[in-house]
Amino acid sequence: MMRPLPLAACLALAATLSVAVVTAQTPTPTTAAPAEAAPAAATAAPATPAAPVGNPQTGRTLAYTCQGCHGVTGYKNAYPSFHVPRIGGQSAEYLTQALTEYKKGNRKHPTMQAQAQSFSDQDIADISAYLSSVK
Amino acid sequence: MSNAVHAPRLAIALLAALALAACSQNNEVAAEDPGHASGEHGSSSSAGLPDGRIAEGEKRAQVKSEATKQSCIDCHGAEGNAPTTPTYPKLGGQYGDYLAHALQQYRAGDRQNSLMTPQAASLTDQEISDLAAYFGSRPSQLRDLHGVD
Repeated sequence: MMRPLPLAACLALAATLSVAVVTAQTPTPTTAAPAEAAPAAATAAPATPAAPVGNPQTGRTLAYTCQGCHGVTGYKNAYPSFHVPRIGGQSAEYLTQALTEYKKGNRKHPTMQAQAQSFSDQDIADISAYLSSVK
Repeated sequence: MSNAVHAPRLAIALLAALALAACSQNNEVAAEDPGHASGEHGSSSSAGLPDGRIAEGEKRAQVKSEATKQSCIDCHGAEGNAPTTPTYPKLGGQYGDYLAHALQQYRAGDRQNSLMTPQAASLTDQEISDLAAYFGSRPSQLRDLHGVD
């Protein structure tokens, strides 16, 4: 008779926590989006014709996040199953195009789309400059 | 007496369990999404493709398509290692299953490119496998990021 009580407490706590997590997560994209959009718009407006110049040093730091998949030799995407591509040594121009396509949604891959959407055009230029320089 | 006291608590516990079940179900779906990536957009797994034939792929890589009047190597260069324009990727030594997936995505419209979309539109599964096997077998200028500086 005493068993359901601690169980109920755990369940209630878990439910409350998951609700709290959901509500805590929800506003993050909405607040982050304008914050990201503002500098992007500011740099894009005057510099529309000129693409940002990539800085490989900055890109090296930003590319840390790529390591989780592209830094694991033989790592495979699941459903569908295929090796994540080797990206070190591709041209900066191709890498910039690929990340931009993911960002715009012309190329589909949930993880890569989410990554690309978190990058500014400058970030993409920096990452591409670094990855193309990898030997 | 004790049943009457516990009844509302049990009701709360049941509600919490239901809420938890609902939440965990949602979480599972969300967690599956990234992995299921392109599968939900109609491009089948590369595991379902026929075996690739390198020699056939080499021949096919030189055939100009009806749609673009270009062959693979016209743009990606000899062995896929000398793109004529920097926005074209190097293909030599890339993972064959990734190349096959890319061609399937172009064919299915999950990846858009003014040249590659029409280029891949008429490819059969066998041709995709052959091309992927050929370019995947060439020498490579590419590498993964394991142990990079």
